[in-house]
Amino acid sequence: MYEIWLTLNILFELGLMYLPVVVGTAALWLVLMVVAARRGKPAWCKAIKPAIVVGLVVTAITFAITPGLTQSSFANVSYWVDWGNLLLYAASFGAVGAALAWPLAATMCRQA
Amino acid sequence: MTVPAGKAGASIKTSARIVIAGSGLAGIAVANRLARELDGASITIVDRKEVHNYQPGYTLVATGVWPVDKVIDRNSDLQPRGIEWVKEMVAEFDPDANAVVTDSGRRIGYDYLIVATGVHLDYSQIEGMDVDAIGRNGLTSVYPSSDAAVATWKAMDEFRRKGGKALMTLPATPIKCAGAPLKTTFMLVDRLRQAGTLASSEVSFHSALGVVFSVPKINDKVLADWAAQNVEVVFNSKLVGVDIAARRATLVTPDGQRVEEDYDFIHVVPPMRAPDAVKNSPLAWQEGNFAAGGWLEVDRQTLRHRRYPNVFGLGDINGTPRGKTAATVKKSVPMVTQNLIDVIAGREPSQLFDGYTSCPMILREGSAMLIEFDYDGKLTPSLPMIDPMQESYFAWVMKYRLLKPAYMAVAKGRV
Repeated sequence: MYEIWLTLNILFELGLMYLPVVVGTAALWLVLMVVAARRGKPAWCKAIKPAIVVGLVVTAITFAITPGLTQSSFANVSYWVDWGNLLLYAASFGAVGAALAWPLAATMCRQA
Repeated sequence: MTVPAGKAGASIKTSARIVIAGSGLAGIAVANRLARELDGASITIVDRKEVHNYQPGYTLVATGVWPVDKVIDRNSDLQPRGIEWVKEMVAEFDPDANAVVTDSGRRIGYDYLIVATGVHLDYSQIEGMDVDAIGRNGLTSVYPSSDAAVATWKAMDEFRRKGGKALMTLPATPIKCAGAPLKTTFMLVDRLRQAGTLASSEVSFHSALGVVFSVPKINDKVLADWAAQNVEVVFNSKLVGVDIAARRATLVTPDGQRVEEDYDFIHVVPPMRAPDAVKNSPLAWQEGNFAAGGWLEVDRQTLRHRRYPNVFGLGDINGTPRGKTAATVKKSVPMVTQNLIDVIAGREPSQLFDGYTSCPMILREGSAMLIEFDYDGKLTPSLPMIDPMQESYFAWVMKYRLLKPAYMAVAKGRV
Protein backbone atom coordinates (compact mmCIF):
# COMPACT_ATOMS: atom_id res chain seq x y z
CA MET A 1 0.00 0.00 0.00
CA TYR A 2 2.84 2.38 0.85
CA GLU A 3 4.32 1.91 -2.63
CA ILE A 4 0.96 2.82 -4.19
CA TRP A 5 0.73 5.96 -2.02
CA LEU A 6 4.31 6.83 -2.93
CA THR A 7 3.60 6.36 -6.64
CA LEU A 8 0.51 8.58 -6.43
CA ASN A 9 2.56 11.26 -4.70
CA ILE A 10 5.29 11.03 -7.33
CA LEU A 11 2.68 11.43 -10.06
CA PHE A 12 1.16 14.40 -8.19
CA GLU A 13 4.54 16.10 -7.84
CA LEU A 14 5.32 15.40 -11.51
CA GLY A 15 1.97 16.98 -12.32
CA LEU A 16 2.98 20.07 -10.34
CA MET A 17 6.32 20.22 -12.16
CA TYR A 18 4.57 20.11 -15.53
CA LEU A 19 1.43 21.96 -14.43
CA PRO A 20 1.02 24.14 -17.55
CA VAL A 21 1.17 21.06 -19.79
CA VAL A 22 -1.25 19.12 -17.57
CA VAL A 23 -3.73 21.99 -17.33
CA GLY A 24 -3.38 22.77 -21.05
CA THR A 25 -4.04 19.17 -22.05
CA ALA A 26 -7.05 18.90 -19.75
CA ALA A 27 -8.42 22.18 -21.07
CA LEU A 28 -7.91 21.08 -24.66
CA TRP A 29 -9.76 17.83 -23.97
CA LEU A 30 -12.65 19.72 -22.38
CA VAL A 31 -12.87 22.11 -25.33
CA LEU A 32 -12.86 19.20 -27.79
CA MET A 33 -15.59 17.43 -25.80
CA VAL A 34 -17.76 20.55 -25.68
CA VAL A 35 -17.25 21.23 -29.39
CA ALA A 36 -18.10 17.62 -30.21
CA ALA A 37 -21.23 17.69 -28.06
CA ARG A 38 -22.51 20.95 -29.57
CA ARG A 39 -21.95 20.19 -33.22
CA GLY A 40 -24.71 17.99 -34.48
CA LYS A 41 -24.96 14.47 -33.17
CA PRO A 42 -21.46 13.20 -32.35
CA ALA A 43 -20.89 9.52 -33.13
CA TRP A 44 -19.34 8.58 -29.81
CA CYS A 45 -19.41 4.81 -30.33
CA LYS A 46 -18.18 5.01 -33.90
CA ALA A 47 -15.31 7.20 -32.74
CA ILE A 48 -13.91 4.65 -30.31
CA LYS A 49 -12.10 2.60 -32.96
CA PRO A 50 -10.16 5.50 -34.54
CA ALA A 51 -9.42 6.84 -31.05
CA ILE A 52 -7.88 3.50 -30.09
CA VAL A 53 -5.82 3.49 -33.28
CA VAL A 54 -4.49 6.96 -32.46
CA GLY A 55 -3.77 5.77 -28.92
CA LEU A 56 -1.80 2.79 -30.22
CA VAL A 57 0.20 4.99 -32.56
CA VAL A 58 1.02 7.41 -29.74
CA THR A 59 1.96 4.44 -27.52
CA ALA A 60 4.30 3.07 -30.18
CA ILE A 61 5.96 6.44 -30.80
CA THR A 62 6.34 7.14 -27.07
CA PHE A 63 7.76 3.66 -26.54
CA ALA A 64 10.32 4.20 -29.29
CA ILE A 65 11.55 7.64 -28.26
CA THR A 66 11.41 7.52 -24.45
CA PRO A 67 14.80 5.89 -23.74
CA GLY A 68 16.47 8.54 -25.89
CA LEU A 69 14.54 11.34 -24.20
CA THR A 70 15.72 10.10 -20.81
CA GLN A 71 19.40 10.10 -21.80
CA SER A 72 19.47 6.35 -22.18
CA SER A 73 18.99 3.89 -25.05
CA PHE A 74 17.39 0.54 -25.82
CA ALA A 75 20.80 -1.04 -25.14
CA ASN A 76 20.10 -0.40 -21.46
CA VAL A 77 16.54 -1.74 -21.57
CA SER A 78 17.16 -5.37 -20.75
CA TYR A 79 15.36 -6.29 -17.54
CA TRP A 80 11.67 -7.29 -17.61
CA VAL A 81 10.95 -4.45 -15.18
CA ASP A 82 12.43 -2.03 -17.74
CA TRP A 83 10.20 -3.31 -20.55
CA GLY A 84 7.14 -3.36 -18.29
CA ASN A 85 7.59 0.18 -17.05
CA LEU A 86 8.43 1.51 -20.48
CA LEU A 87 5.28 -0.08 -21.86
CA LEU A 88 3.19 1.32 -19.00
CA TYR A 89 4.65 4.78 -19.51
CA ALA A 90 4.04 4.66 -23.26
CA ALA A 91 0.52 3.34 -22.74
CA SER A 92 -0.24 6.28 -20.43
CA PHE A 93 0.60 8.70 -23.19
CA GLY A 94 -1.32 6.52 -25.61
CA ALA A 95 -4.37 6.83 -23.36
CA VAL A 96 -4.05 10.62 -23.40
CA GLY A 97 -3.74 10.53 -27.18
CA ALA A 98 -6.85 8.36 -27.43
CA ALA A 99 -8.76 10.64 -25.08
CA LEU A 100 -7.94 13.66 -27.25
CA ALA A 101 -8.69 11.81 -30.47
CA TRP A 102 -12.07 10.51 -29.30
CA PRO A 103 -14.06 13.80 -29.38
CA LEU A 104 -12.29 14.82 -32.58
CA ALA A 105 -13.25 11.56 -34.26
CA ALA A 106 -16.77 11.80 -32.85
CA THR A 107 -17.13 15.26 -34.38
CA MET A 108 -15.79 14.14 -37.74
CA CYS A 109 -18.03 11.06 -37.82
CA ARG A 110 -21.14 12.86 -36.56
CA GLN A 111 -24.51 11.71 -37.77
CA ALA A 112 -26.48 13.94 -40.08
CA MET B 1 -3.44 17.26 26.31
CA THR B 2 -5.74 14.72 24.69
CA VAL B 3 -4.70 11.69 22.73
CA PRO B 4 -7.28 9.62 20.89
CA ALA B 5 -6.70 6.12 22.23
CA GLY B 6 -4.87 3.77 19.90
CA LYS B 7 -4.80 6.16 16.96
CA ALA B 8 -1.22 6.39 15.81
CA GLY B 9 -0.58 9.66 14.01
CA ALA B 10 -3.85 11.25 15.11
CA SER B 11 -3.80 15.00 15.82
CA ILE B 12 -3.28 15.89 19.47
CA LYS B 13 -3.57 19.12 21.38
CA THR B 14 -0.38 20.28 23.04
CA SER B 15 1.38 23.46 23.97
CA ALA B 16 4.81 21.85 23.61
CA ARG B 17 7.67 23.99 22.35
CA ILE B 18 9.53 22.04 19.68
CA VAL B 19 12.81 23.25 18.21
CA ILE B 20 14.15 21.72 14.99
CA ALA B 21 17.82 22.41 14.36
CA GLY B 22 18.37 22.26 10.62
CA SER B 23 16.22 22.78 7.54
CA GLY B 24 17.50 20.15 5.17
CA LEU B 25 15.14 17.44 4.02
CA ALA B 26 14.85 15.93 7.50
CA GLY B 27 14.15 19.20 9.30
CA ILE B 28 11.57 20.40 6.76
CA ALA B 29 9.83 17.03 6.50
CA VAL B 30 9.45 16.58 10.25
CA ALA B 31 8.26 20.19 10.59
CA ASN B 32 5.52 19.57 8.03
CA ARG B 33 4.39 16.40 9.76
CA LEU B 34 4.42 17.88 13.24
CA ALA B 35 2.58 21.01 12.09
CA ARG B 36 -0.14 18.78 10.67
CA GLU B 37 -0.38 16.31 13.53
CA LEU B 38 0.00 18.57 16.56
CA ASP B 39 -2.60 21.14 17.48
CA GLY B 40 -1.24 24.11 19.40
CA ALA B 41 2.44 23.19 19.43
CA SER B 42 5.01 25.92 18.98
CA ILE B 43 7.41 24.75 16.27
CA THR B 44 10.64 26.61 15.57
CA ILE B 45 13.12 25.82 12.81
CA VAL B 46 16.62 27.20 13.35
CA ASP B 47 18.65 27.43 10.15
CA ARG B 48 19.94 30.34 8.11
CA LYS B 49 19.79 28.63 4.73
CA GLU B 50 17.21 30.13 2.38
CA VAL B 51 18.10 27.91 -0.56
CA HIS B 52 17.06 24.30 -0.40
CA ASN B 53 19.37 22.10 -2.42
CA TYR B 54 18.25 18.75 -3.75
CA GLN B 55 21.56 17.15 -2.88
CA PRO B 56 20.79 13.70 -4.34
CA GLY B 57 20.90 15.48 -7.71
CA TYR B 58 24.45 16.75 -7.29
CA THR B 59 25.96 13.66 -8.96
CA LEU B 60 23.73 14.23 -11.98
CA VAL B 61 24.82 17.88 -12.23
CA ALA B 62 28.47 17.00 -11.65
CA THR B 63 28.47 14.45 -14.46
CA GLY B 64 26.67 16.57 -17.04
CA VAL B 65 23.28 14.85 -16.89
CA TRP B 66 21.20 17.61 -15.28
CA PRO B 67 21.29 21.41 -15.45
CA VAL B 68 21.89 22.94 -12.04
CA ASP B 69 18.48 24.60 -11.73
CA LYS B 70 16.94 21.18 -11.10
CA VAL B 71 18.62 20.98 -7.70
CA ILE B 72 17.77 24.44 -6.40
CA ASP B 73 14.58 25.20 -4.50
CA ARG B 74 13.63 27.58 -1.70
CA ASN B 75 13.09 26.61 1.93
CA SER B 76 10.29 29.15 2.25
CA ASP B 77 8.30 27.21 -0.36
CA LEU B 78 8.63 23.97 1.58
CA GLN B 79 8.08 24.99 5.18
CA PRO B 80 4.64 24.67 6.76
CA ARG B 81 2.61 27.72 7.70
CA GLY B 82 2.41 28.76 11.32
CA ILE B 83 5.91 27.86 12.40
CA GLU B 84 8.67 30.21 13.45
CA TRP B 85 11.75 30.27 11.26
CA VAL B 86 14.85 31.62 13.03
CA LYS B 87 17.31 32.46 10.25
CA GLU B 88 20.40 31.80 12.32
CA MET B 89 22.53 28.73 12.97
CA VAL B 90 22.65 26.77 16.19
CA ALA B 91 26.06 27.48 17.72
CA GLU B 92 25.55 25.62 20.98
CA PHE B 93 23.30 22.90 22.33
CA ASP B 94 22.57 23.05 26.06
CA PRO B 95 20.40 19.98 26.62
CA ASP B 96 20.74 20.14 30.41
CA ALA B 97 18.93 23.48 30.28
CA ASN B 98 16.67 22.47 27.36
CA ALA B 99 17.95 25.30 25.19
CA VAL B 100 19.90 26.04 22.04
CA VAL B 101 22.01 29.14 21.49
CA THR B 102 22.27 30.63 18.01
CA ASP B 103 25.33 32.22 16.46
CA SER B 104 23.92 35.65 17.28
CA GLY B 105 23.76 34.66 20.95
CA ARG B 106 20.01 34.21 21.03
CA ARG B 107 18.90 31.55 23.50
CA ILE B 108 15.86 29.48 22.50
CA GLY B 109 14.24 27.18 25.04
CA TYR B 110 12.41 24.00 24.12
CA ASP B 111 10.45 21.13 25.55
CA TYR B 112 11.49 18.84 22.72
CA LEU B 113 14.42 19.09 20.34
CA ILE B 114 14.98 17.48 16.95
CA VAL B 115 18.56 17.61 15.75
CA ALA B 116 18.76 17.55 11.95
CA THR B 117 21.85 19.62 11.29
CA GLY B 118 23.43 17.37 8.70
CA VAL B 119 27.18 16.80 8.48
CA HIS B 120 30.25 18.98 8.40
CA LEU B 121 32.44 18.46 5.32
CA ASP B 122 35.90 18.50 6.83
CA TYR B 123 38.03 19.56 3.87
CA SER B 124 40.49 21.03 6.38
CA GLN B 125 41.78 17.50 7.01
CA ILE B 126 43.19 17.55 3.47
CA GLU B 127 46.25 19.76 3.44
CA GLY B 128 46.24 22.30 0.61
CA MET B 129 42.59 21.74 -0.29
CA ASP B 130 40.65 24.81 -1.36
CA VAL B 131 36.94 24.40 -2.00
CA ASP B 132 36.92 27.64 -3.99
CA ALA B 133 39.38 26.08 -6.45
CA ILE B 134 37.03 23.24 -7.42
CA GLY B 135 36.67 23.22 -11.18
CA ARG B 136 40.22 24.45 -11.83
CA ASN B 137 43.37 22.41 -12.44
CA GLY B 138 41.39 19.18 -12.58
CA LEU B 139 40.21 19.56 -8.98
CA THR B 140 36.66 18.31 -8.39
CA SER B 141 34.33 17.44 -5.52
CA VAL B 142 30.64 16.77 -5.83
CA TYR B 143 29.72 17.35 -2.19
CA PRO B 144 29.95 20.96 -1.03
CA SER B 145 27.37 22.81 -3.12
CA SER B 146 25.47 23.03 -6.37
CA ASP B 147 28.17 25.43 -7.61
CA ALA B 148 30.82 22.80 -6.86
CA ALA B 149 28.77 20.24 -8.78
CA VAL B 150 28.68 22.58 -11.80
CA ALA B 151 32.42 23.21 -11.47
CA THR B 152 33.04 19.48 -11.19
CA TRP B 153 31.25 18.88 -14.49
CA LYS B 154 33.27 21.69 -16.11
CA ALA B 155 36.50 19.99 -15.05
CA MET B 156 35.24 16.53 -16.02
CA ASP B 157 34.15 17.80 -19.42
CA GLU B 158 37.61 19.29 -20.04
CA PHE B 159 39.34 16.14 -18.82
CA ARG B 160 37.33 13.72 -20.92
CA ARG B 161 38.31 15.48 -24.14
CA LYS B 162 42.00 14.73 -23.67
CA GLY B 163 41.94 11.90 -21.13
CA GLY B 164 44.80 11.33 -18.74
CA LYS B 165 45.25 10.18 -15.20
CA ALA B 166 42.22 10.37 -12.89
CA LEU B 167 42.41 9.85 -9.17
CA MET B 168 39.17 9.14 -7.30
CA THR B 169 39.07 9.07 -3.50
CA LEU B 170 37.08 7.82 -0.52
CA PRO B 171 37.76 8.83 3.11
CA ALA B 172 37.65 6.58 6.16
CA THR B 173 34.85 8.40 7.97
CA PRO B 174 31.11 7.82 7.58
CA ILE B 175 29.93 9.90 4.63
CA LYS B 176 26.61 11.04 3.29
CA CYS B 177 25.49 9.38 0.07
CA ALA B 178 28.20 6.74 0.16
CA GLY B 179 27.33 5.89 -3.41
CA ALA B 180 28.32 9.32 -4.76
CA PRO B 181 32.07 8.62 -5.01
CA LEU B 182 31.29 5.39 -6.87
CA LYS B 183 28.69 6.96 -9.18
CA THR B 184 31.11 9.74 -10.04
CA THR B 185 33.74 7.15 -10.92
CA PHE B 186 31.34 5.11 -13.06
CA MET B 187 30.19 8.24 -14.87
CA LEU B 188 33.73 9.48 -15.41
CA VAL B 189 34.61 6.16 -17.06
CA ASP B 190 31.47 6.41 -19.20
CA ARG B 191 32.23 10.00 -20.22
CA LEU B 192 35.78 8.98 -21.21
CA ARG B 193 34.36 6.05 -23.19
CA GLN B 194 31.87 8.34 -24.97
CA ALA B 195 34.66 10.79 -25.83
CA GLY B 196 36.91 8.00 -27.11
CA THR B 197 39.65 8.77 -24.59
CA LEU B 198 39.16 5.88 -22.17
CA ALA B 199 41.87 3.74 -23.73
CA SER B 200 44.43 6.49 -23.27
CA SER B 201 43.32 7.21 -19.70
CA GLU B 202 44.11 5.73 -16.34
CA VAL B 203 41.46 5.79 -13.60
CA SER B 204 42.33 4.74 -10.07
CA PHE B 205 40.14 4.70 -6.96
CA HIS B 206 41.85 5.19 -3.61
CA SER B 207 39.78 4.00 -0.68
CA ALA B 208 40.93 4.81 2.83
CA LEU B 209 39.08 1.66 3.87
CA GLY B 210 39.41 -1.99 2.95
CA VAL B 211 36.27 -1.77 0.81
CA VAL B 212 34.60 0.71 -1.54
CA PHE B 213 31.06 0.16 -0.23
CA SER B 214 29.88 -1.19 3.10
CA VAL B 215 27.40 -3.74 1.72
CA PRO B 216 29.48 -6.79 0.70
CA LYS B 217 27.39 -7.84 -2.32
CA ILE B 218 27.43 -4.32 -3.75
CA ASN B 219 31.12 -3.93 -2.96
CA ASP B 220 31.88 -7.11 -4.89
CA LYS B 221 29.72 -6.07 -7.84
CA VAL B 222 31.35 -2.63 -8.08
CA LEU B 223 34.85 -4.12 -7.87
CA ALA B 224 34.02 -6.66 -10.58
CA ASP B 225 32.69 -3.91 -12.87
CA TRP B 226 35.73 -1.74 -12.26
CA ALA B 227 38.07 -4.66 -12.92
CA ALA B 228 36.37 -5.08 -16.29
CA GLN B 229 36.77 -1.34 -16.95
CA ASN B 230 40.44 -1.33 -15.91
CA VAL B 231 39.78 0.94 -12.93
CA GLU B 232 42.59 0.29 -10.48
CA VAL B 233 41.48 0.10 -6.85
CA VAL B 234 43.92 0.89 -4.06
CA PHE B 235 42.70 0.03 -0.57
CA ASN B 236 43.80 1.64 2.69
CA SER B 237 45.06 4.68 0.85
CA LYS B 238 43.83 7.93 2.41
CA LEU B 239 44.01 11.32 0.73
CA VAL B 240 45.71 13.72 3.15
CA GLY B 241 46.99 16.46 0.91
CA VAL B 242 46.65 18.04 -2.49
CA ASP B 243 48.90 20.46 -4.34
CA ILE B 244 46.33 22.04 -6.60
CA ALA B 245 48.72 23.99 -8.82
CA ALA B 246 51.06 21.04 -9.33
CA ARG B 247 48.18 18.54 -9.63
CA ARG B 248 49.77 16.25 -7.07
CA ALA B 249 47.99 14.30 -4.34
CA THR B 250 49.47 12.95 -1.13
CA LEU B 251 48.06 9.70 0.14
CA VAL B 252 48.93 7.82 3.29
CA THR B 253 48.79 4.12 4.14
CA PRO B 254 47.75 2.77 7.56
CA ASP B 255 51.41 2.32 8.53
CA GLY B 256 52.03 6.02 7.87
CA GLN B 257 53.82 5.71 4.55
CA ARG B 258 53.18 8.80 2.40
CA VAL B 259 52.81 8.37 -1.35
CA GLU B 260 52.66 11.20 -3.87
CA GLU B 261 50.60 10.75 -7.02
CA ASP B 262 50.42 13.10 -9.98
CA TYR B 263 47.03 13.44 -11.62
CA ASP B 264 45.20 15.27 -14.36
CA PHE B 265 41.82 14.94 -12.64
CA ILE B 266 41.02 14.31 -8.99
CA HIS B 267 37.72 13.78 -7.19
CA VAL B 268 38.05 14.73 -3.54
CA VAL B 269 35.59 13.24 -1.07
CA PRO B 270 36.13 15.01 2.24
CA PRO B 271 36.16 13.31 5.64
CA MET B 272 32.86 14.06 7.34
CA ARG B 273 31.89 14.60 10.96
CA ALA B 274 29.22 16.26 13.05
CA PRO B 275 29.10 20.06 12.98
CA ASP B 276 30.99 21.66 15.87
CA ALA B 277 27.78 22.64 17.67
CA VAL B 278 26.85 18.97 18.03
CA LYS B 279 30.36 17.56 18.30
CA ASN B 280 31.25 19.85 21.19
CA SER B 281 27.95 19.36 23.01
CA PRO B 282 26.79 16.75 25.52
CA LEU B 283 24.56 15.36 22.76
CA ALA B 284 27.47 13.70 20.95
CA TRP B 285 28.52 10.11 21.52
CA GLN B 286 31.00 10.13 24.40
CA GLU B 287 32.58 6.78 23.56
CA GLY B 288 32.53 4.08 20.91
CA ASN B 289 32.82 4.18 17.12
CA PHE B 290 30.80 7.36 16.68
CA ALA B 291 32.56 9.45 19.34
CA ALA B 292 35.46 10.54 17.12
CA GLY B 293 33.11 12.16 14.62
CA GLY B 294 30.98 13.69 17.35
CA TRP B 295 27.84 12.09 15.90
CA LEU B 296 24.54 12.37 17.75
CA GLU B 297 24.05 9.66 20.36
CA VAL B 298 20.67 8.22 19.46
CA ASP B 299 19.13 4.82 19.94
CA ARG B 300 19.41 3.21 16.52
CA GLN B 301 15.80 1.98 16.56
CA THR B 302 13.77 4.82 18.10
CA LEU B 303 16.24 7.56 17.04
CA ARG B 304 15.65 9.08 20.47
CA HIS B 305 18.69 10.42 22.28
CA ARG B 306 20.08 7.80 24.65
CA ARG B 307 20.63 10.24 27.54
CA TYR B 308 18.26 13.13 26.83
CA PRO B 309 14.80 11.61 26.32
CA ASN B 310 13.28 14.82 24.95
CA VAL B 311 15.79 14.90 22.07
CA PHE B 312 15.52 13.04 18.76
CA GLY B 313 17.89 12.86 15.81
CA LEU B 314 17.12 12.77 12.11
CA GLY B 315 19.17 12.39 8.98
CA ASP B 316 22.90 12.52 8.46
CA ILE B 317 23.78 13.70 11.97
CA ASN B 318 22.75 10.45 13.63
CA GLY B 319 25.47 8.24 15.02
CA THR B 320 24.02 5.09 13.55
CA PRO B 321 25.45 2.57 11.10
CA ARG B 322 25.23 3.33 7.36
CA GLY B 323 22.31 5.31 5.98
CA LYS B 324 23.17 8.95 5.46
CA THR B 325 20.80 9.42 2.53
CA ALA B 326 17.48 11.02 1.61
CA ALA B 327 15.97 7.53 1.57
CA THR B 328 16.86 7.14 5.24
CA VAL B 329 15.09 10.41 5.93
CA LYS B 330 12.06 9.26 3.93
CA LYS B 331 11.66 6.17 6.08
CA SER B 332 12.66 7.60 9.45
CA VAL B 333 10.82 10.95 9.53
CA PRO B 334 7.33 9.43 9.92
CA MET B 335 8.71 7.19 12.67
CA VAL B 336 10.39 9.97 14.60
CA THR B 337 7.27 12.10 14.22
CA GLN B 338 5.17 9.35 15.77
CA ASN B 339 7.78 8.62 18.45
CA LEU B 340 7.84 12.28 19.43
CA ILE B 341 4.05 12.35 19.57
CA ASP B 342 4.19 9.24 21.75
CA VAL B 343 6.61 10.94 24.12
CA ILE B 344 4.53 14.12 24.22
CA ALA B 345 1.55 11.94 25.09
CA GLY B 346 3.47 10.27 27.91
CA ARG B 347 4.04 6.98 26.11
CA GLU B 348 7.18 5.16 25.12
CA PRO B 349 8.19 5.49 21.42
CA SER B 350 6.25 2.98 19.38
CA GLN B 351 8.15 3.05 16.09
CA LEU B 352 11.37 1.11 15.51
CA PHE B 353 13.61 2.06 12.58
CA ASP B 354 15.53 -0.73 10.82
CA GLY B 355 18.14 1.54 9.23
CA TYR B 356 16.57 1.47 5.77
CA THR B 357 18.50 3.32 3.15
CA SER B 358 18.69 3.33 -0.60
CA CYS B 359 21.19 4.19 -3.31
CA PRO B 360 20.41 4.38 -6.99
CA MET B 361 23.88 3.34 -8.12
CA ILE B 362 24.51 4.88 -11.53
CA LEU B 363 26.64 2.51 -13.59
CA ARG B 364 26.77 4.54 -16.79
CA GLU B 365 24.60 7.11 -18.51
CA GLY B 366 21.25 5.38 -18.92
CA SER B 367 21.63 2.49 -16.47
CA ALA B 368 21.67 2.04 -12.71
CA MET B 369 20.98 -0.40 -9.88
CA LEU B 370 18.40 0.45 -7.21
CA ILE B 371 19.98 -0.78 -4.00
CA GLU B 372 18.08 -0.77 -0.72
CA PHE B 373 19.52 -2.09 2.53
CA ASP B 374 19.28 -1.84 6.31
CA TYR B 375 21.58 -1.28 9.30
CA ASP B 376 23.05 -4.76 8.91
CA GLY B 377 23.80 -4.37 5.20
CA LYS B 378 21.01 -6.79 4.32
CA LEU B 379 19.43 -6.03 0.95
CA THR B 380 15.79 -5.02 1.49
CA PRO B 381 14.11 -4.36 -1.88
CA SER B 382 10.77 -2.55 -1.54
CA LEU B 383 9.37 -4.68 -4.34
CA PRO B 384 10.59 -8.24 -3.69
CA MET B 385 10.22 -9.35 -7.31
CA ILE B 386 12.79 -6.78 -8.43
CA ASP B 387 16.40 -7.96 -8.23
CA PRO B 388 18.47 -5.17 -6.60
CA MET B 389 21.63 -6.46 -8.30
CA GLN B 390 20.13 -6.10 -11.76
CA GLU B 391 21.41 -3.32 -14.00
CA SER B 392 18.31 -1.50 -15.09
CA TYR B 393 17.00 1.30 -17.26
CA PHE B 394 14.09 1.62 -14.83
CA ALA B 395 16.51 2.32 -11.94
CA TRP B 396 18.08 5.01 -14.12
CA VAL B 397 14.68 6.58 -14.78
CA MET B 398 14.03 6.49 -11.05
CA LYS B 399 17.18 8.50 -10.45
CA TYR B 400 16.83 10.71 -13.50
CA ARG B 401 13.16 11.61 -13.26
CA LEU B 402 11.21 10.09 -10.35
CA LEU B 403 13.24 10.55 -7.17
CA LYS B 404 13.08 14.35 -7.18
CA PRO B 405 9.25 14.31 -7.10
CA ALA B 406 9.45 11.64 -4.37
CA TYR B 407 11.84 13.89 -2.44
CA MET B 408 9.43 16.82 -2.71
CA ALA B 409 6.60 14.65 -1.37
CA VAL B 410 8.82 13.63 1.56
CA ALA B 411 9.73 17.25 2.26
CA LYS B 412 6.06 18.19 2.32
CA GLY B 413 5.45 15.42 4.86
CA ARG B 414 3.17 13.32 2.72
CA VAL B 415 5.17 10.11 2.26
